[in-house]
Amino acid sequence: MRQVWVVLRREYLERVKTKGFIIGTLAMPVLLLGFVGLTAFMGVQAERSEREISLIDLTGQIGDAVASGMADVGYDLEVVGTDVGLEELDRRVVDEEIAGYVILDDLTLNEGAFAYRGLDFPGTVRRALLERFVKETVLDMHLSSVGSESAVRRLLSGGGMTFESLGEEQGEMERITGIATGIAGAMVLYITMILYGAYVLRAVLDEKRNRVVEVVLSALSPWRLMLGKILGVGLMGLTQVGIWVACAAMIGLLGVPMVAAALPAADLSEIAEFLPGLGALGLLLVFFILGYFLYSSLFAAVGAMCNTEEEAQQAQFPVITLLIAPFMMQMMTLGGRAPGWMDWAAVFPFFSPVMMYPRAVAGSVPWWMVALSLVLMAVAVVGTAWVAGRIYRVGILMQGKRPTLREVVRWIRVA
Amino acid sequence: MTDPVVRLSGVTKSFGAHTAVSEFDLTIPRGTILGLLGPNGSGKTTTIRMMMAILLPDRGTVELLGGFPDFSRRARVGYLPEERGVYVKMKVLDQLVFLGELRGMARPVVRRRAMEWLERLGLGEWASKKVQELSKGMQQKVQFIGTVLHDPDLLILDEPFSGLDPINQDVLESIVREQREQGKTILFSTHLMEQAERMCERVCLISKSRKVLDGNLKKLKRRERSGVVAIEFEGDDRWLLRMGFTDPERVGDAYHLAVSDTATQDRLLAGAVAEGVSLRRFEVLEPSLHEIFVRHAGEQSDEPPLRAAGGAR
Repeated sequence: MRQVWVVLRREYLERVKTKGFIIGTLAMPVLLLGFVGLTAFMGVQAERSEREISLIDLTGQIGDAVASGMADVGYDLEVVGTDVGLEELDRRVVDEEIAGYVILDDLTLNEGAFAYRGLDFPGTVRRALLERFVKETVLDMHLSSVGSESAVRRLLSGGGMTFESLGEEQGEMERITGIATGIAGAMVLYITMILYGAYVLRAVLDEKRNRVVEVVLSALSPWRLMLGKILGVGLMGLTQVGIWVACAAMIGLLGVPMVAAALPAADLSEIAEFLPGLGALGLLLVFFILGYFLYSSLFAAVGAMCNTEEEAQQAQFPVITLLIAPFMMQMMTLGGRAPGWMDWAAVFPFFSPVMMYPRAVAGSVPWWMVALSLVLMAVAVVGTAWVAGRIYRVGILMQGKRPTLREVVRWIRVA
Repeated sequence: MTDPVVRLSGVTKSFGAHTAVSEFDLTIPRGTILGLLGPNGSGKTTTIRMMMAILLPDRGTVELLGGFPDFSRRARVGYLPEERGVYVKMKVLDQLVFLGELRGMARPVVRRRAMEWLERLGLGEWASKKVQELSKGMQQKVQFIGTVLHDPDLLILDEPFSGLDPINQDVLESIVREQREQGKTILFSTHLMEQAERMCERVCLISKSRKVLDGNLKKLKRRERSGVVAIEFEGDDRWLLRMGFTDPERVGDAYHLAVSDTATQDRLLAGAVAEGVSLRRFEVLEPSLHEIFVRHAGEQSDEPPLRAAGGAR
């Protein structure tokens, strides 16, 4: 085991120390930051240019103050009289004359809580702004009048907007968050499998081509060498992804509020609802580890079979196809509902990382299917490692022409 | 002299239709320097790779340090492959430490010993440079250090001197000799006969996948005496004709005469005295390794070897 560790450590350190790794690792969060900043900015722009929303103040006391507060930061609200009635406003929403409307009632006066009715969620920044101005206005009112201390306290602890959807589905928020996390996770898995798989392939091929492997293999078994390499590259991958996730979390927790604060807005910590939970992250890790082992051993075998870069380009094609196919299927069904057979395709171990992870996070398949796919992946990891190890063992010392498929099968059987 | 360090018996290895090594027997006793000689493509590297269990023979057995070349035995061997392999992106010292640690050496020990070797081969100041910044010759020296670093019992060096300048060849040669004096067994392959003649106690000649002959170099030479006498003298050479040497070959001042047996030798010497020739030189020539090789390799290729006819199926 010590030898595996020696190989692992060399592989890891030699990679992590390169300029390419450092630049690659740091470039990603910068890009991400730019991306998030841009989306946030565009989101605010989009919210502002959306159809108007109305406000109906059933208490008749705070509506105008809230509306003027919102107007100051660029969000116009049309205050409608109580004579219009909720039914009429619902109709306007459904007929898409307005995007939605805010209802201020007695509960608002007591606790700062209010409802928003619309087909779609009003947008993150707008929601936060609404909550802030409603709260401020009510607080002002209580402080300047006969408000009791307990009312102020209730106000401070409570409040917030309730979204009453007039669209088809309830709980839209959670679903969207789940889908977004799932898709982002699938992307991360897809990219890392291809990226780190290629690293493993290159590492094996280089070692074979410059014949270092003959010296190294005089001291340890091919199997240990392969394991050490895969673990080393994998650990580097985890380091990189870990740094990315940490950066993303920081951007999420600090960055977005900062972006929003640059706009005249208040506490946006609710944004955290959009961030994937720890559970989703943990699951990502599990899928990454299993998927990485599955694919990296295949890539290692391909590297051991080839002698030149060009050969490897061709020979890795079947493996790449195994990765691209589920990615395509996943992307094609991004918007709408996926057909049922795809849920089963997601159980296929080689497709699972890209296809099952988003399903698991979005909760669109039963938990036992997720569990089944994890078990199948674990089994497949063992099987692939066995086959790949045998190909590797023979191929790594084989020079000359690329073996035919029949020869490879013989390596697996005989070696 | 205990068990042999390497023993090959009846080893055969084919790649497809091509037989790389055929019915090969070789025993290397402990504490010798053996040269594995042969032209390119004669099967030297394949033989060495089988000793290191990089390749497995189709037939026959390979014993290394008393048994199958498994990891524990191979770890006691210093192996320098023919193709120079180094991690070019790694730093020199890191690379050596890696190789040492793979063989179970403790990190501080390898580090110290690697530094000593680097200093000794004049690479001290290159220790923290990347290998790719070194010249080819320096890389080769680094690789050589990697071979001897773990103080192996047996050194297997495949063309260790190729590509080195004469000065570095000398340095490496003297280190190999020194290793031998420390009681190590050394096997190296080369296609340079002069070098083998200079360094080896034993030689093993291969040609066209088969062993031609092997044994102690001195004894071999004595046994393989060419039957040529070099003779130098004053005066004209008509007395040679009179004695029946019709076709003397002139090499510089000397005449080379084919002398088939010792009786003829004696007759020649007696004749010279009788004719009153004043001799400057009379020497029974020992063949060079090259001549021995050409002689035997030539025989080999002319007549199909009997063993293969009987042994191959």
